[in-house]
Amino acid sequence: MWKLVGAVLVAAGSGWLGLSAASGLTSRLRAVQAMIAGLELLERELWEHGTALPELLAALARRCPPPAAGFFQRCAQGCGQLDRVPFGESWRQAVAELELLSPEGQAALLPLGEVLGRYEADSQRQALEHARQALEREELRAQEERRRLGRVYQTLGLSGGAFLVILLL
Amino acid sequence: MKHNSQAYRQAAQVLPLSLRGEALALPEDKQGRAEELRLRVGRPMTAVFPQGELPLGTNPVTGRELEQLLELASRASVHTVADQLRRGYLTVEGGHRVGLCGTPVLRDGQIHGLGRLSSAAIRVARQVTGAAAPVERELLDAAGTLCSTLILAPPGAGKTTLLRDLIRMTSQGEGMVPQRVAVADERGEVAALWNGVPQLDVGERTDVLEGCPKAQALMMLLRAMNPQVLAADEITAPEDVAALISAAGCGVKLLATAHGSGREDLSRRPLYRQLMEAGVFERLLLIRTEKGHRSYRVEVLA
Repeated sequence: MWKLVGAVLVAAGSGWLGLSAASGLTSRLRAVQAMIAGLELLERELWEHGTALPELLAALARRCPPPAAGFFQRCAQGCGQLDRVPFGESWRQAVAELELLSPEGQAALLPLGEVLGRYEADSQRQALEHARQALEREELRAQEERRRLGRVYQTLGLSGGAFLVILLL
Repeated sequence: MKHNSQAYRQAAQVLPLSLRGEALALPEDKQGRAEELRLRVGRPMTAVFPQGELPLGTNPVTGRELEQLLELASRASVHTVADQLRRGYLTVEGGHRVGLCGTPVLRDGQIHGLGRLSSAAIRVARQVTGAAAPVERELLDAAGTLCSTLILAPPGAGKTTLLRDLIRMTSQGEGMVPQRVAVADERGEVAALWNGVPQLDVGERTDVLEGCPKAQALMMLLRAMNPQVLAADEITAPEDVAALISAAGCGVKLLATAHGSGREDLSRRPLYRQLMEAGVFERLLLIRTEKGHRSYRVEVLA
């Protein structure tokens, strides 16, 4: 009886490991997509309405899905302490906290901290476009990785569990 | 004096924290008299008084601090003040003006922006409510309505302060018939709009068009806002004079300022001679400053 319970637990644990590894890949893809959507909104608002950065970032924090919402919220808070911390520094810290993004994704966002709010709308728009294009490439990579590794992780988790059960029984 | 030191402290809010402490360490009575804060790279920050400049602290201002000042003054949104920056200054909350100096970036011979910053001047905005009260009666007609008035004085004598207070009084109907006033505030010195709100009191019946060349602004205001009084600071160009003459032809009262020492001085200069000959102004308000005391004289022109 205990053997059977142990086998079920091993199978379930191994399956869960596989599924959670696959779901990590999906979360990463969604994070990249949320940031792309956020940058698109940021670019449009800057270009068409010329909104000031503190209001714009606060609005994006309300309108974007996570983790972009949290990221923009962090940057909007940074605008409230400009006398202590330059905006570029707040942006860098917020990027570093975007753990779901790969190092390449983070690297695509970092240069924006030195451009946003410091130049005219046209220059900011160009920088946003570059960052968005880099993130779109990152999105393709994340999609490909999920397609390729997602099933592998799921299969490994489930079959590894089944293999252990057979061994144990 | 307390109100004046409040204006100083508000102006000091655009300074990075490292410099703000030095500015706020100034005794309150001096804060109330300081006209400007001056920041020059490699030199300690100074406060400007009518008697001269006083160093604040000993630490030299850095280029990084000037960049931080610009970031604070623009609220990290240079794109919202780009036009002002091309003119070399920007207005911050409270109507204080941050003038910037450095190496301009030129494109097609036009100033595109400021590259490396070398110095900055924060001018403390102070409104003198009631400045026009001593002359108000002499500027009214028999019905108690403001006459078209040209304020004439040398630079720094307080023309803009007087103009602003006359606009406020006319708009509020303080001692006279209230009227709708439209202000062509090309340099943003009269009302100091910030986020669309005048930072200096220009009355509740006042519309402000800021940052637009005066001649165009006067015509736009005339067409769009149906004013009873049109106001403009510092008439200096033939187009401004032509616009004022056109506006007067539409039955609008005028309030304007010009550099000059007197009626004879005006008649000598072709630009103003044309204005005087057109007879668009009914009163000439002269400001004189002697030994720090300001006095006014009103001449009836028509």
